[in-house]
Amino acid sequence: MTPTLNDLRTDALREIGNIGLGGAVTALSDLTGVLFTLEAPQVLQMDASTLPQICCVSPESLVVGTVSRVNGDWPGEGAFLFPWQSACVLWQILVQMQPSGLEELNELYQSVINEVSNIMLGNYLQAISQMTGFTLHMEPPAFAADMAMAVLSSILVEALYGQRELLAIETAFKTPAHEFKGYFLYLPETGNLEKLFGVLGI
Amino acid sequence: MATVKLAGMGEIVWARGAGVLGCIGLGSCVGTLLFDPRTQMAALAHVMLPEAHDQDSFTTPGKYATTALPALLRVMEVPPALASRLKAILIGGGELFQNRSQTLRIGERNVELLHQLLRELRIGVVFEHVRGTSGRSFEFDVATGWIKVRTVGASAVATDLAAALGIQRRAA
Repeated sequence: MTPTLNDLRTDALREIGNIGLGGAVTALSDLTGVLFTLEAPQVLQMDASTLPQICCVSPESLVVGTVSRVNGDWPGEGAFLFPWQSACVLWQILVQMQPSGLEELNELYQSVINEVSNIMLGNYLQAISQMTGFTLHMEPPAFAADMAMAVLSSILVEALYGQRELLAIETAFKTPAHEFKGYFLYLPETGNLEKLFGVLGI
Repeated sequence: MATVKLAGMGEIVWARGAGVLGCIGLGSCVGTLLFDPRTQMAALAHVMLPEAHDQDSFTTPGKYATTALPALLRVMEVPPALASRLKAILIGGGELFQNRSQTLRIGERNVELLHQLLRELRIGVVFEHVRGTSGRSFEFDVATGWIKVRTVGASAVATDLAAALGIQRRAA
């Protein structure tokens, strides 16, 4: 049974997104030496079949994405999505080179994105765990580079499996220094939401 | 150029005699298209998951393999007993995330189950572009029987299915 989300609960989820990704983006800034800013998080509900307006990239454009399983007191999936040009900015900063196209996307480039995802998700979970006292563990990320819509729907469909509906907390982050925009999604198992709201006392 | 009717996740679209049906950005989802040579009608479901876990299969039957095929037959007004005259096209069912630790293999299971259900209905699959590791978009022209499949980093591949589907093109 999925609890209904009133305004207070939506606000709480948004605030958790903010605090969590605040920590994650600080870690990314430390790693790259570039200052990143957050956009206000959105809480999106996906019911039977409607894919929410998520991650404003055109459906067939090339994106790079990761998804990591999170276990513990607030289980779900954490996913990052970078438009190709934004991934190139990360590669350029972190390894001083970039692939000219999909065919040059080797293991080195993949591991850079996986490592960025690991560090950011780790800090996101740490921030949430400090606030709630939850124990949270993440598994290593899985990587994909393909059409935006295909990557996104593969993430969402798997998270939706076995659930009545899907909740997505989306946060976008960018930097004025580069043509860069990244998206983070946390897709909690909806059956476990009450636990979170209980800890927050709402 | 005919208007393109795109099936979003879980949706069903159809056209008779003319029109273009398609899906954008299929990952593990499978675009499942049935064609009726007798009525020249095509119907397409954007299947997301193998089987239903809850009641919403009544409101969005196109979402699940198990409910999508009966729903397509209803739209096409073909009783299951006569379904063997239909032809099927399957696009999608890829696994984009290769090293996903707790992988549910949803793409593979979608394709497997759709094959099984189509076999039970004695519907032949005339064309498929499934499995593998890439996302796909496609468009199917109901009047001409041409299908165009797009993947990232490659040019679109067009295939003429008119003969396989029993489409008689009018002489130009």
